Amino acid sequence: MNRNELLRVEDLSKSFSGFKALHEVSFDLRERDILGIIGPNGAGKTTLLECLVGLLSVNSGAVFWKSEPLTNSGRKDVMFYLPEDIVPYQEQPASRLTGFFRDIYDLSHERERDVLFRLQLEKVLTRRVGELSRGYRRRVLLALALLAPKPLLLLDEPFDGLDPRQTVEVANLLREESESGRTFVLSIHQLADAARICNRFLLLVEGKVVGCGTMEELQRQGSVESTNLEAIFFALT
Amino acid sequence: MQELQNVFSGRAFWAAMITLTLLTGYSFIQAVDLYSQASRSAVKYPELARGMVPLEGILVPTLGAFYLASTLLLPFIAIRAIAQDKETGALKLLLQMPLTPAWLVTTKVAAIGIAILALFLPALSFIPIWLYLGGHVHTPELLNLLGGHALYALVVTGIAFLAASLSDSLSTAAIFALACTLSFWVMDFAATASGGVLHRLSFYSLTAALHQFEQGLFSLSAVLAMLLAALALFALTATWLPTGIAIKKKLLISLVIILLVSLAAFGANHARVYIDVTENRRNSFNPADETALCRMQSPLAIWIYLSPEDSRLKEMEANVLGKLRRTVPRLEVNYEDTTGHGLFSSVPDERYGLIIYQYEGKQAESRSNSPREILPLLHELSGTEVKPEKESDYRGYPVVADAAGYGVWFYGILPSLLVFSWWRIWRIGTLSTNRDKRRYFDVCSTKF
Repeated sequence: MNRNELLRVEDLSKSFSGFKALHEVSFDLRERDILGIIGPNGAGKTTLLECLVGLLSVNSGAVFWKSEPLTNSGRKDVMFYLPEDIVPYQEQPASRLTGFFRDIYDLSHERERDVLFRLQLEKVLTRRVGELSRGYRRRVLLALALLAPKPLLLLDEPFDGLDPRQTVEVANLLREESESGRTFVLSIHQLADAARICNRFLLLVEGKVVGCGTMEELQRQGSVESTNLEAIFFALT
Repeated sequence: MQELQNVFSGRAFWAAMITLTLLTGYSFIQAVDLYSQASRSAVKYPELARGMVPLEGILVPTLGAFYLASTLLLPFIAIRAIAQDKETGALKLLLQMPLTPAWLVTTKVAAIGIAILALFLPALSFIPIWLYLGGHVHTPELLNLLGGHALYALVVTGIAFLAASLSDSLSTAAIFALACTLSFWVMDFAATASGGVLHRLSFYSLTAALHQFEQGLFSLSAVLAMLLAALALFALTATWLPTGIAIKKKLLISLVIILLVSLAAFGANHARVYIDVTENRRNSFNPADETALCRMQSPLAIWIYLSPEDSRLKEMEANVLGKLRRTVPRLEVNYEDTTGHGLFSSVPDERYGLIIYQYEGKQAESRSNSPREILPLLHELSGTEVKPEKESDYRGYPVVADAAGYGVWFYGILPSLLVFSWWRIWRIGTLSTNRDKRRYFDVCSTKF
């Protein structure tokens, strides 16, 4: 076992009516990692995240948490997954949604306020979730994920709908959270965003892992000298 | 609380409430009109006044609006509680929270339960109006009837929840749920026109269970059956709601639930506790007759040569057979095949209309469907002599009144109040969050 190993995934496979969405996916995750799952549309990024968190059943494979097998029911104790393109409780104000999370997880008002402040959500607290712009809605959802007191957060396209400034701010926030002990798995299709924030990458194509590791490790795997993630990605796929 | 806010913030709930108010108003005004017409002659003749029963004349027809609302409108409110979570992605968040699916369904049931109470409450304003008009309400009859409607609504909620958990969209779930609730109508309708299996099955339909409460009968077996049905449906919902469990496992758990509930339902079917809550004891024989019938320990077999649509059979079901089922410990009723030999059939059958009774090897025949003739016959078969006890005389409650003026309340004032409440609740979200916002601002004013 690696000293900092947090999560290990072994041979995870998932099929939908005969279509293989994930094929023997294996990788590991270390404490404070920000792992970016990179891949084209339909590569199986969302499926992988939903399988990891237990929202989808798997056909085969195993997940280990600190070298111990992680049951389906035990996953919600250690990880939280924020799906892409959801609009929960759209007829209710944003603050009620964050307040609901605060109450469910028995968090302090201070913690909630801190997250809301860091995501600059003070202006939209009274507005209904369904009436928010895409960027604000995404930040409200990110607030929910950050409020979930889990060591591992899985975020599906966290920068989708954010403008460049907001993207940088959210990336900085995630990095701060990582430095304070949290681990992230981000599904990202924008390679520039991934290169900016992630320290490790998992390249996924048609449900198969084509590369995994740090930028340097990927360079070696793809036999490329460029430090451009896009060039490495194309070399490996 | 989150679930409750979700239900009350939905347009479906308020639309259903306003529709129910209009329906109740219409049913009540029509019922009072008919009751008054019948009461005009009953006021002069005490014999006719005995037939003026508020349960049959006012409460059941007016609360028929609740039945319609529960069957046709409630599924949409209940389905929304689950289907919307699936469609908006909220379910994916909820399933990751420290809540079990069973707890999730329980909170939703509690929210819908409160919503049902809130839904029915404005419509119940017809009761004080009826009392003001000089009408009479026998409280046990009313409570029993409301209990029946509440249980019916609970089972319909269960059907809607299961439909929503099995379907991917709100519209598919609505079609599935309505198909289920309407199938009970179809079953009852078909049972009146045909005998055999369908006729027997109709005894177990949801509407048949509600009908017992409408007749002023509290049946423990019906209560338990409805509660068990609701429990099974909620348990199945909790099984099918989580997305991360394999279908095979879900099917296995469902099978276990169905098996356990079937066993419990079998036991509940033997809970022979019946309370006639009516003021005129319409569901009971004379106490002396009932005591004698309860002592018939050997099987009593009855063969009936009447077609299901024959009104004589319907009368006999209500006046004799239903009561016998509740008193005679071992009763076997056989509906003989009369297809092609009915009252209006071209093929004559001498036995048509005949009812044969058999007890301890002795047999008796009759063509009467009246308890006055049938009961002495049964006592003769069992070899007992019964002297009927003197019962208190039910005088009836004829009322001549005009409720048309109260249309203003049901069609105008009440719907307006509901629309206003709807608007207020819609606004409350913003108002309360303004308070929240002030609180946040106060505490972190330096940051903001």
